[in-house]
Amino acid sequence: MRLRVLVLLTALAALPFEVPPAFSHHSNVAFAVETVLLAKGVVKEFRWSNPHTWLYVTVDDGKGNKVEWAMEGRAPGVLLRAGWTPKVVKPGDEVQVYYSPSKDGSKVGMIARVTLPDGRVLPNAPPND
Amino acid sequence: MRSRAAVVACAMSLASVSMQAQSPPDFSGVYRPVNAFGPPPGGRDGGPPPGARAGGPPAPGQTLPPPTRTAPLSDGSRGRAPNAPKLKPEYMAKWQAISKARVAGDSSSDNTAKCLPPGMPAMMNMAYGMEVMQTKDKITFFSELNDALRRVYLDGRKPTQLVLDDPTYAGFSTGHWEGDTLVVDTVALKDNSYIEGFTPHSDKMTVKERIRFLPNGMLEDRITVTDPVALLEPWETVKTYRKADKGDDQLREFACAEGIDHAK
Repeated sequence: MRLRVLVLLTALAALPFEVPPAFSHHSNVAFAVETVLLAKGVVKEFRWSNPHTWLYVTVDDGKGNKVEWAMEGRAPGVLLRAGWTPKVVKPGDEVQVYYSPSKDGSKVGMIARVTLPDGRVLPNAPPND
Repeated sequence: MRSRAAVVACAMSLASVSMQAQSPPDFSGVYRPVNAFGPPPGGRDGGPPPGARAGGPPAPGQTLPPPTRTAPLSDGSRGRAPNAPKLKPEYMAKWQAISKARVAGDSSSDNTAKCLPPGMPAMMNMAYGMEVMQTKDKITFFSELNDALRRVYLDGRKPTQLVLDDPTYAGFSTGHWEGDTLVVDTVALKDNSYIEGFTPHSDKMTVKERIRFLPNGMLEDRITVTDPVALLEPWETVKTYRKADKGDDQLREFACAEGIDHAK
């Protein structure tokens, strides 16, 4: 009994520290690039890194659950030319993310476009790209 | 006396013109590719509508339609393009096996996703931009994508046996000028890169290029790939680049290994 409580407590303690989903480098083939879905959520973290940027978003799944999605963005160099900056998205921002889902069903998407709280639109490609 | 001076001046002037005509063009600068991924439909669909400013709000009353894709399909599920390199059966089978894996979502065939250089000739897509640095004896081509680099030696050196025994992704390139055109030969290429897309090749592949400025100021690279082991016939393609505009003439560091911690 004591052990069971300990296990339960340990499991509960681990919950808030659950690390964001972490992934190896993807090529586009990991995603269903011709399917585009919309997620609305709150930004948890934005990683401005090569070879991909990562936007971690907490999404309400409509059933009362908060689900964390890892949205893979293109490289900083490309996004700079598309109008992004390292600080353009901040934790706490409510964003809309158009994304292509991962083929393996995990909660990972590839970003097509992000709309910021003030209505600005961040595309995944510079003009004429 | 006077006429003799005039003749000398005239001769000097002609010599000067002749020397100018002989000096090769300077390709140095930053360039953006024109249709890096081939003719449309090849692009992405997350971008702003024509005329819109990147990162800006939609114009009043304007509603952006939802994107229909995030990137061009690159798994081969629609077969090979008519202008793709013509592969011998053994290499076509390799391509089909890679395609099957990619359709299933397997990224392992993607060298650039593993931070490896794209290799020649695929690196000349220069999808994220190119910087050319030119001296009399060497031209260096730098690709923002994967911080990839190649050097073309113009000083008359030839590939040694050591170079031939030590293939690399960029290979070993030597060049010479034919008028305003730089003619480049590349050998010593590793066989685990791709000609384009995920088209495989053998270690017998060589690449010939003819690089020149077009009358409209764009830089053109006419590429011929020869591989008697993998290809039924040499494959030709043409890449075009425009000089980057002021304010857009700065490449960013790629530092691919930065994301390695994401793989843990």
